[in-house]
Amino acid sequence: MKLAFQLAYKNLMGAGLRTWLNAGVLSFAFVVIIFYNGLIDGWNEQARIDGVNWAYGNGHLVHEAYDPFDPFSLQDGHGMLPEEMQGNLTPVFIQQATLYPQGRMLSVQLKGIDVNQTVVKLPTHLLDSSSAEFPVIIGKGMAASAKLNVGDQVLLRWRDRNGTFDAANVTISGIFETNVPFVDGGQLWMPIDKLWEMTGLTGHATYFIANDAYVPEESAGWKFESKEYLLRELTKIINMKKVSGSIIYLLLLSIGLLAIFDTQVLSIFRRQKEIGTYIALGMTRWQVVGLFTAEGSMYSFFATVLGCIYGIPLLAYMANKGFGMPLSADQSGLILAERIFPVYGAALIIGTIIVVVVSATIVSFLPARKIARMNPVEALKGKLQ
Amino acid sequence: MSHENIISIEHVSKRFPVGDGEFTALSDITIYFRRGEFAGVVGPSGSGKTTLLNIIGSLDTPTEGTAVVMGRNISNLSHKESARLRNMHLGFIFQVYNLLPVYTVFENVEFALILQHKSAAERKKAVMEALEWVGMAGMARKKPSKISGGEGQRVAIARAMVKRPDLVLADEPTANLDAKNAHAIIQTMKNLNRELHTTFLFSTHDEKVMSYLDRMVHLEDGKVAKDEFIKTKTTKP
Ligand SMILES: Nc1ncnc2c1ncn2[C@@H]1O[C@H](COP(=O)(O)OP(=O)(O)OP(=O)(O)O)[C@@H](O)[C@H]1O
Ligand SMILES: [Mg+2]
Repeated sequence: MKLAFQLAYKNLMGAGLRTWLNAGVLSFAFVVIIFYNGLIDGWNEQARIDGVNWAYGNGHLVHEAYDPFDPFSLQDGHGMLPEEMQGNLTPVFIQQATLYPQGRMLSVQLKGIDVNQTVVKLPTHLLDSSSAEFPVIIGKGMAASAKLNVGDQVLLRWRDRNGTFDAANVTISGIFETNVPFVDGGQLWMPIDKLWEMTGLTGHATYFIANDAYVPEESAGWKFESKEYLLRELTKIINMKKVSGSIIYLLLLSIGLLAIFDTQVLSIFRRQKEIGTYIALGMTRWQVVGLFTAEGSMYSFFATVLGCIYGIPLLAYMANKGFGMPLSADQSGLILAERIFPVYGAALIIGTIIVVVVSATIVSFLPARKIARMNPVEALKGKLQ
Repeated sequence: MSHENIISIEHVSKRFPVGDGEFTALSDITIYFRRGEFAGVVGPSGSGKTTLLNIIGSLDTPTEGTAVVMGRNISNLSHKESARLRNMHLGFIFQVYNLLPVYTVFENVEFALILQHKSAAERKKAVMEALEWVGMAGMARKKPSKISGGEGQRVAIARAMVKRPDLVLADEPTANLDAKNAHAIIQTMKNLNRELHTTFLFSTHDEKVMSYLDRMVHLEDGKVAKDEFIKTKTTKP
C-alpha cells in the first residue's frame, strides 16, 4: 500500500502539467462546493438569527382568524387575550392604513407594539422618547421608497372600529436598518396604546411575540406558532438552494472525475510496457491495479492540497468580508443580508473531502481493473489494444 | 546442489491462436539447464526464443508439457506464486531496457528490493553494490532519460542482479547496443556469473553474445535443432 502511494506520487510528479490540470479541475469543484455550501449555511444562519431577533422571538401566539398571507384577515383577525395569560408575551396589533407621502398613496400596515418591549430588536424606545403626537418608526427600505426622513411628518388615513375614516399627520421618529423585509417594507410601527386609541380597540392584539421564558398554553381563539414553524419558508428555500447547488457540484465533480478517468484510460494504454515491467519485477497484477488506482485517487489528495493553497485564503477572505448578494432583500421577500458571511463547518469540509477522494478512487479503479486481465507478455510488447 | 537442474523443460509446446487456426511457436521441446550455467537460446527470428524465455520466466504458460523452474511447475502457479517466484528468484533483462522513467537510476534498481520489503539501509548497500558491478555508481541520481543506451542496459543489469537472483533471463540484451557496449555488458554478466554463480539464460542472435556463451541451444521453427556445449573460453581480448 505504502509502496503504491510512493510510486503513484512519483509518477504523478513525473507527469507534470497533466497532473496539475486534473488536480486543478478537481480542486475547483472542491472549493466551489465548500464555498457554495458555506454561503447557503451562512445565509441560513444569519437569516434565522435575523428572523428571530427582528420578528419571531420564541414564536408567535396568533389570533385564529389572522392569516399573514391574507391582508383581508386583518379586519377580524384580532382579539383580547386574558391578562393573566399575557406573561412573557408582547402584543402586536395590526391595522390596514394608507400613507400619503408627497401626494402619493401608499397602502401600509400599521403595527402597534409595546414601546417597552425588548423581545425583538425594533428600536421601539425611539417611539417612547418621541414628543410627537403620532410617532412612528420605519425601516430603511420603507424610508427610501416613500422618501421619508427622520422628523418628517406625513399624512396617514385609517379606519376606526366602526369603519369610519380618520386621518392625522404621523411623525417619523426613527429609521432602523434590518435584513428582514416584512418588518420593513410597507410597515409602520407605532406605540400600541396609540393605535388602540386611534381605533378604539383597546386591549386588542393580532399576535403576541413570545420570549424565551414563554411556555405555550391552550387558549381559545389563539394558536401558538413556534419559531421553527415561522421559519419554515426559509428552511424550505434553503433546502431548495441546497438541492440546486448539488446539481452544480455534481456537474463540476463529474468534469473533474471525467478528466481523471480519461487520464487513467490513456495512461494504462500508454504504459503497457511499464505494467509488464512491474509484473516481471515481481508485482502481482492486483498490486499493479492498486498502483494505478492509487495514482488516480492521489489526484484527489493533490486537489485537496491545491484547493487548500488557494481555497483557504479565498474562503477565509469571504468569511471575513462577506459576500455581496446580487439581489436585495425587498426584491426577493427573503430574509437576506446585503452581505452574507459564509460559514464552513468541519462536517462540510470533511464530507466534501471524503466524497472527492472516494469518487476519484472509484473512477481510477474502474479502468485499472483491466490490468488484472492483461497478459504480461503482450503488455511487455506494448501491443495490447 | 550445484548440479541440480534449475530449469527442466519437458515436452513443452506453445501454440498461439491466429485467426481461425493456431500457430505453433514451440513444439515438443525437452531441455534442462543446471545452476550456474551461462547459456543461450539462439536461432533465427521467429524461432521461438522469446516464447521459451517467457515460459521459463513464468510470464507465460506452456500449452503442453511441463516447465519446472526452481522446483516449481510453471503451469500450476497462481498469479501470486508466480509473482513471488519472479520477485525472489528471477531477474529479467529486456532488449529495450524498460527502466521506469520517473525514477532515478538508484530508484530503478532499488525497486525490486522494496517489493521484497528490505530495509532502507539494506537496500542502499545492495543498490550501490549492484551499480558498482556495472560501473554506474556515479550516475545513481540521474533519470533514465539522461543516460545513454549502453548505460541504460547496465542499469537494467544492476536491477536484475541487485536481488541476487538464482536465474537471470536476458532477451536480446545487446540488440540495441553498439559493439563496444555489447562486449562490455556481456563481460559484466560473465563476471557476475563467475562471482555469484548466478545462472544466465540468453536469447540472442548476436555473434558477440554467442562468443561468450558456455552453451548454445539452437532453436529452429520451435524445435531444438542442436544443443551445443562449448569449452569455456577466457575473456575476449
Ligand atoms: N501472441 C502471439 N500470437 C501469435 N503468434 C505469436 C505470438 N507470440 C509469438 N508468436 C509467434 O511465435 C513465433 C515465435 O515468436 P518469438 O517471439 O518467440 O520468436 P523469437 O525467436 O524471439 O524471434 P526474434 O528473434 O524476432 O525475437 C513467431 O513467429 C511469432 O510471430
Ligand atoms: Mg524474441
